[in-house]
Amino acid sequence: MTSNRIAYTGFVAFVSVVLTLVVVNLVQGNPEPTAGGTAENANGETVFRLDDVAEHNHAGSCWKVINGVVYDLTEYLPNHPTEEEVFTRWCGKEATSAWLDKGNGRPHSPRAAARLEDYRIGVLEGGAPAPAPVETADSATQPATGDDRLGRMLLGLAPGNYLDGTYRGNFIDRGLIQVSLQFRIEGGRIKGMSYRHLFYRDEDYLKMDSSAELYPVLRQYQQITERLEGEPMEAIFRLYEPENVVDDIDGYTGATLRGAKVISAFRDGLNRGVYSW
Amino acid sequence: MTLRKYPGDLLLLGLFLLPVVVVAPALPWGSQGWLYSLAELAGVFALSAFLLAGILSARIPGMDPWFGGLVRLWTIHRWLGFSAFMLVMAHVLLLALATLPMSLGTSVATLFPPLSHWEIWVGWAAFLTMLVFIAPTLGFFGTLHYQNWKRLHLLSAPALVLALVHTLMLSATAWVWWLLSALALAAIAWRKLLSPWLARKAYVVDGIDKLARDVVELRLRPKGKGIRWQAGQFVYLTPMDSSLVAGYREEHPYTIASGSGDDELKIGIKAVGDATRALLDIKSGAEVRIEGPYGTFFENAALAQKGDGLPGEPRKQLWLAGGIGITPFVSGARDRVGSGAVQAPDACLFYLANRPERAYYLDELVRIAETCDGFEVHTHYMNEHGVITRDYLAERCPDFAARDIYLCGPPGMINHLQTLLRHEGVPVHRIHTEAFDFL
Repeated sequence: MTSNRIAYTGFVAFVSVVLTLVVVNLVQGNPEPTAGGTAENANGETVFRLDDVAEHNHAGSCWKVINGVVYDLTEYLPNHPTEEEVFTRWCGKEATSAWLDKGNGRPHSPRAAARLEDYRIGVLEGGAPAPAPVETADSATQPATGDDRLGRMLLGLAPGNYLDGTYRGNFIDRGLIQVSLQFRIEGGRIKGMSYRHLFYRDEDYLKMDSSAELYPVLRQYQQITERLEGEPMEAIFRLYEPENVVDDIDGYTGATLRGAKVISAFRDGLNRGVYSW
Repeated sequence: MTLRKYPGDLLLLGLFLLPVVVVAPALPWGSQGWLYSLAELAGVFALSAFLLAGILSARIPGMDPWFGGLVRLWTIHRWLGFSAFMLVMAHVLLLALATLPMSLGTSVATLFPPLSHWEIWVGWAAFLTMLVFIAPTLGFFGTLHYQNWKRLHLLSAPALVLALVHTLMLSATAWVWWLLSALALAAIAWRKLLSPWLARKAYVVDGIDKLARDVVELRLRPKGKGIRWQAGQFVYLTPMDSSLVAGYREEHPYTIASGSGDDELKIGIKAVGDATRALLDIKSGAEVRIEGPYGTFFENAALAQKGDGLPGEPRKQLWLAGGIGITPFVSGARDRVGSGAVQAPDACLFYLANRPERAYYLDELVRIAETCDGFEVHTHYMNEHGVITRDYLAERCPDFAARDIYLCGPPGMINHLQTLLRHEGVPVHRIHTEAFDFL
């Protein structure tokens, strides 16, 4: 009967395809199966097996696999906009389908995708070399203190549009120079930033003694120059939220670091052009 | 299988589509989810087909005409089983494909996850169990001994349960599966556990007439209340004589040879396998169980004629019988001797046999033809005339192609005649055949 031949052919094809999948996966995958999530892949990321993930299947410890990447979403759980159960029933599981479909046929947003990366802890065994957690070589070298893509946009520049050289810039308010800055740009990166003048409310910070009440604020300004050393230019915008850059050492002074003034002086310097080669 | 429609078809279609209608809207069809949804849908269709095939295995006497007869029901059952098998494989492959874009590893892990995902492995177990009983059915290893095949086919029950567990663990809509599986398991329970007690009637062998070296006619008398039948129907016969060499308590289908008004139930049996050969030696007085009747061999005509616009005047009939396939026509001819003779439409019987001693019942058929108007008998012996031709038919029955045509005989003969008749322009709906090679 024709149907018999079709069934037999179909079955042979089926077995062939499944075997091919398994064999190719074996050949391509780790020659030695790794135990207990201790292995690392070429990117230095931890490689987990699905049964490692399966143990973290509750609100107290919730891991999920999405597109071959393992995420520990325990911390994120309270922030998820749905009922807790909607979120936790995928704990310990391959949750790609839930990621692709929130239940209304729509995938999660790019914003959610960006946030998801914060919770990345490794990749699934046998998974493809998933995209690296960081996007550019630039950002790969910096501490994870924020997203500089916005900064690049604000500057409207790509590294290299500002010539290498020494720059000087000022922040002037109410007739007085408050911040005067010198820095070098080398290949789009900030080098050797220093204050030539730092003045506010009759206080000349640069002449301040370490016992002075506002000395911690000076320390913070100095931390700015230390911590932006070698960073890409757009890192300057991190100073809109200076607590991401400097240590909180002025908690008791009541004075506040004005990161925006440094940004302003920096951009003033860029606008003026190279001061010296 | 003919394309004729029967009232039961709507019920079958409804049951088949119900799960899909319930499940499909909830699937993640959007964006990249469509392939995954398709995979799930294949699984849903597979289980629906599987469950429906299970439901159709019930074989309740008297209900099969709603579906065009038991043979047609078995044909549908077979197609459903075939479809379920193909769809399950599609289900697995589509799942692998749907997860392949993520990575090959994910794809393989979807098919073969860690053992903690036991519901997936239950699915595999269901598939393998299905493979064991369906592979011989679909002739993967050639033909199988009937009783072995039948016993193996019982694995369908555990396979159904496994498939159900697999689906219920992963499906959000359980009720629809519970409904269908309750029906299917009830059907299997009826067939295997209840029907041997409730549907089978006790008969006693009253006499055995030897028609040829390997052909007998059993005359059966009911112990209690017997069954009522129409010409051309068949029954399942279970010998209860433990002294038989083979086939004790094994049921097999046989066509009824007696007319519908006859007191005795007569069954023509040709030795084709162990069980039928053993039955040739059954003793008078032995007990058999009869379940039925089934089939709609001649009733199809009544149904088919409803739309023909010739009320009151049934179309003339052409009967083409080969070998032991003569039995439904013997029944039809004997009917003409009884009370039904007046309304019966004209019939012209061609009896195809290899040689005269293989034309069982011929003497009786000729006698009936002599006494009844509107019933003729012609013989065609292969050894003498070669393969039957249209001219052979036309010489003896000039309007043969305009008649309702009934075929019963070996597959080779049926195929040859169907081709011949189609060449003569006979529409499919006027060709009636019920072949139960493998019931």
